[in-house]
Amino acid sequence: MQTRLSASLVALAFIVAMTAQAAEVIPPKPDRYFNDYVGVVSKEAAQRFNEQLAQFERETGDQVVVAVFPKMQSDSDIADYTQRVAQTWGVGQKERRNGVVLFVFVQDRKASIQVGYGLEGALSDIIAYDIRANHISPYFKNGDYEGGLATGIDLICKAIRGEYKGSGKTVTEQRRGTGGLGVLPFIIFVIVLIVISRMMRRLGGYGYSSSRGGPVFLPIGGGGWSSGGGGGFSGFSGGGGSFGGGGSSGSW
Amino acid sequence: MNKFAFGCVVVLLILLFFVVIAALGLAGSYNRLVRLQQAVDQSWAQVQNVYQRRADLIPNLVNTVSGAANFEKSTLVEVTNARASVGRVQTQIDPNKAPTDAAQLEKFQTAQGELSNALSRLLVVVERYPELKANQNFLSLQAQLEGTENRISVERGNFNKTVQDYNVAVRSFPTNFVAGPLGFSPRPFFTAQPGAEKPPPVQFNFGTQLQRRL
Repeated sequence: MQTRLSASLVALAFIVAMTAQAAEVIPPKPDRYFNDYVGVVSKEAAQRFNEQLAQFERETGDQVVVAVFPKMQSDSDIADYTQRVAQTWGVGQKERRNGVVLFVFVQDRKASIQVGYGLEGALSDIIAYDIRANHISPYFKNGDYEGGLATGIDLICKAIRGEYKGSGKTVTEQRRGTGGLGVLPFIIFVIVLIVISRMMRRLGGYGYSSSRGGPVFLPIGGGGWSSGGGGGFSGFSGGGGSFGGGGSSGSW
Repeated sequence: MNKFAFGCVVVLLILLFFVVIAALGLAGSYNRLVRLQQAVDQSWAQVQNVYQRRADLIPNLVNTVSGAANFEKSTLVEVTNARASVGRVQTQIDPNKAPTDAAQLEKFQTAQGELSNALSRLLVVVERYPELKANQNFLSLQAQLEGTENRISVERGNFNKTVQDYNVAVRSFPTNFVAGPLGFSPRPFFTAQPGAEKPPPVQFNFGTQLQRRL
């Protein structure tokens, strides 16, 4: 009886802890590699960083994402919070777990580098700390976000380059490729359906009118798939990577 | 007579049908429980990994810190003792299997919590030694320790999640009827300890560095 009571107390404490955490907001998955939600860098620089990181994924397979937010939407410690966000976004490939996210919270004057499990060896806590505290923070202290981010991106990429080999394509590009292939059998199926229904009608089979059933399917094949990379930037999609709290977080 | 035999066969077939259904259900829930239990043990191994990582950092940390002139020895002794008691508790726990006994986990958690406290006190004391804060070796140890504390909190969270999934499966209907006889009992999980849950001992350091300059 007593064990049951204590067990339910523990469960209650757990629920309270969960609801206490519910106050925090995990931002939605970004659609680019470089995401400046504040506007601290110029459009040209943002575009340049984004293409640099997309190219980096093509070459190495590693996904590096930068997210600049106005402030943290959580009461937790920055390291805890950003680990949860990075995990939710699934940056990095699922098997290699090779993602890195650089978070910047401008009003909080805090930054965090979250390193996926698979890159903890290449980008150790000491290197992450060095990049954040000794290379990025000096720029940020002077208000030079563009300079700090450029240095940060360069150094992170330099640290993890060579750990894995890329396939020449980003996750987004790979998915788009297989997506197109996935549609092809469907289109063939629809065409076959139409042909069969025409033949049936010509043979004078059953009385229903198939002139509506067939062609209605057709427009689906054309739409939908063309979007994704059209906006002039390389789109980002997470590969399902996971994070174990490696990296470095702190104020500047 | 013929009719009676036919009836018997039908009843037997129906019974067989139910037995097969029950067996399939049993096998299904058994496999599910095994899978969930494996996940718990695996996440427990991760928890021990990250705690071990912290324990491995301590000798180096103690050496570096005690190299500083006139360093307050009592905090160092405290850290060393806490680490030793963690080691003693750890030898009592099967490393490949998550604890089944709540008291055992409690003991583990208490010992690790004491080590956390001793470490955070040490890092507060270090604040008074500017030569240490300029020591490259110490700074890198501090960065590693901070990362390790973060990893601990992540892996503890993952462990609790897998235990929760497992416990829900063990306790829910109808699996609860087979879980007990098959030897699956609910597992204890980490409880939030005031102070132990948060990793900011080192965070605190970086913060004050900045505040002091202002």
